[in-house]
Amino acid sequence: MSPGATKVFQPGLFEAYDPSQFYDEMFSAPGTPRPHYAGIFEKLASLAASQFEERRQLADVTFLLQGITFTVYSDGTGTERLFPFDLIPRILPGTEWERIERGLTQRVVALNLFLQDVYGQQRILRDGRIARSLVYSCQHFRREMVGVEVPRGIHTHISGIDLVRDSKTGEFLVLEDNVRTPSGVSYVLENRLVMTRCFPELFQTHEVLPVNNYPAELCKILRVISPRTGEEPQMALLTPGIHNSAYFEHSFLAQQMGIELVEGRDLVVDGSVVYMKTIRGLTRVDVIYRRVDDEFLDPLTFRPDSVLGVPGLMGAYRAGNVTLANAVGNGVADDKAIYAYVPDFIRYYLDEEPVLRNVDTYLCAKPDDLAYVLEHLPDLVVKAVGESGGYGMLIGPASAGREIEEFRRRITAEPRNYIAQPVIGLSRVPSYDPATGRMAGRHVDLRPYCLYNGDDVIIVPGGLTRVALQPGSLVVNSSQGGGSKDTWVLRGEH
Amino acid sequence: MLSRIADSLFWLARYMERAEDTARILDVNYHMLLEGSRRQPYRLRWEPLLVMAGEDQRFKQHYSDANATTVFDFLAFGADNPSSISQCIAKARENARTIRDYISREMWEDINGLYHAVNRFGPQEVGAGPHRFCNLVKFGSHRFHGVSDATLPRDEGWQFLRVGRFLERAEMTARLVDVQYQNLVVTQTDLGALDNHQWMAVLKSVGAYEAYHRQYHSPIEPERVADMLILHALHPRSIRFSMTEVQAGLRAVSGTGPGYYANEAERFTGKVLEGLRYDKIEEILKRGLHAYLHEVLRSCRLIGEDIARTYFFYAVVA
Repeated sequence: MSPGATKVFQPGLFEAYDPSQFYDEMFSAPGTPRPHYAGIFEKLASLAASQFEERRQLADVTFLLQGITFTVYSDGTGTERLFPFDLIPRILPGTEWERIERGLTQRVVALNLFLQDVYGQQRILRDGRIARSLVYSCQHFRREMVGVEVPRGIHTHISGIDLVRDSKTGEFLVLEDNVRTPSGVSYVLENRLVMTRCFPELFQTHEVLPVNNYPAELCKILRVISPRTGEEPQMALLTPGIHNSAYFEHSFLAQQMGIELVEGRDLVVDGSVVYMKTIRGLTRVDVIYRRVDDEFLDPLTFRPDSVLGVPGLMGAYRAGNVTLANAVGNGVADDKAIYAYVPDFIRYYLDEEPVLRNVDTYLCAKPDDLAYVLEHLPDLVVKAVGESGGYGMLIGPASAGREIEEFRRRITAEPRNYIAQPVIGLSRVPSYDPATGRMAGRHVDLRPYCLYNGDDVIIVPGGLTRVALQPGSLVVNSSQGGGSKDTWVLRGEH
Repeated sequence: MLSRIADSLFWLARYMERAEDTARILDVNYHMLLEGSRRQPYRLRWEPLLVMAGEDQRFKQHYSDANATTVFDFLAFGADNPSSISQCIAKARENARTIRDYISREMWEDINGLYHAVNRFGPQEVGAGPHRFCNLVKFGSHRFHGVSDATLPRDEGWQFLRVGRFLERAEMTARLVDVQYQNLVVTQTDLGALDNHQWMAVLKSVGAYEAYHRQYHSPIEPERVADMLILHALHPRSIRFSMTEVQAGLRAVSGTGPGYYANEAERFTGKVLEGLRYDKIEEILKRGLHAYLHEVLRSCRLIGEDIARTYFFYAVVA
């Protein structure tokens, strides 16, 4: 550029980009980036399509080499596909993140207090703040846990709280709590690693808060919940095995924490003590970070056909000889009907107003709500209360009359099993569309990962941004064609 | 160390070694046989490779004729051949995948990259000349051990890798010598120059061609080749060297000193090594090479079985 020449706006990859009626995380108006996105926009807009494509391929190769793939068996050869990763980061200004962090902290503490209470004194039930029948009818309520005292009172060691930004108000809302075995945190770490390799220069010009302390923080928590005090605890991560879609994450976390990765067949219970089979005989295990669902943990207590679990594990757990993280029975707290009461839990247990609001929710278990839901099915999102991963869902506006009628039948038959919410216009982030070679707005959510040590909630800045890469799609789950993005929290004001 | 992890490390190394050895043999023979082809029908030469891999019967179920194309295809890519190179690499990777938390990230990335690279090859690419493919596998194996040595602590896990690698190598070398000696010396004596050509192939396929000349300064003689591949103390592909490594690995795991044994695997290893250390090649040939190597192979099998019994699949008495 010659001295004195004015800088010409070069939209580059952003040519014809339309933020449309949705909240766009990058642009406040067409062609006008938000202050915290200005640097990124300038960099990306200066790239030729071929330069961008080069970096995209570097990212793909990195993921392929890491083996961060899932296997598609439909074509008979077991082809491995990559989990789609989009290179345009999702950026949150530090000030906005602080508010989210406060909201998550109070929510996680309240969820933990609810679990302590519901499996302990049941104060909240006696006070009539939530119906006993609603709690007891949760699919994942475990009566085996009533009266069990867990070390340091921690039930929710790890929580993944799904947030969405409502395009109407620009406000972050809580969409869902995941306090059983939330997955995805390895992608937070891997996405960051790949991003620093593909766009190192961006990290020199932006002060991005680091995320790589997650395994160390988790490991600290696993250490302090060991039932054998005074001894070096033996910790293990229990995985269902290599055929589980989250296996990469299990091995990744075990490796990063330096703890054993075990399968059910590696463990044996004797005299209510858990051991693992080593080349030198049996070694006692104190803490198990289990990534196996409750119902598969112990065939003697739960599903007798489970081969993933360890016979006698629940006995050892109840005897206090081994600690499980997360605790058993947490599913009662992330049931989608219970979800509607979490803001009340925050008021009841903490005497605080919730910082992060829920999405308005209709409980089909309530007659008035049920009537409203059945009347407005084509406008609502309906979810089965015990499901996760985007299964058992009806998105009214996107569904045919036949599907809507099918859900009407199911809801009427089992109202307790369903909730409904208005369709939230999720905010969008520009994402690369390989079909056009341009940027296009795609809907995103945000799942921060919260660790709880009984005193403090530790949250890695940001979390996992999932993105619905299909044009117009609102479903971000990887099982439904979703991908992910690196999520940045920038230090300071913007 | 978890028994399952030790088991996976042991087999990871075995599969990697089998892939490398098969690639070596294929590479050398493919090119050697091209030169010898005008004087000798392919069939005579390619069948021993199938015997060596222990897959001659299975081959016959899938192909009628053993020639450069079919044998290469079967041994390199055969999806129905559990010892084919691509199957070995796939199984090595699968074992690595189950112990990703134990092995280093670099080890995983390397073996995973090798798997994808091998998968990109097909019979078409190899038609242009299989050297590139064989080299990929050979150096993939070298790199695997290089990365392992550079990134793994020398704990029991590393020892299981070592034992698996050298037990497999001892078996492969024993089969190679057995089959080629049978093929070249016992059944065909009138080949002259071609014979020499073939023994050169044997030496080259274990990377011992240069070492042979340095050692003997003589034309290639079958007895000396056998001597070198069976009894050489220092050549890293000889059976003796391999079994010495197996013994050192097993002793490092059990903590047993020289002269003692902690389990049947160590006892058999010691027995085989006694012979390898004190027998002379003339004695072995007089007693019968085939029987001798057969005994070595039987011991290797028993050693593998007892390692599994002692460390991987022992009964838990609760």
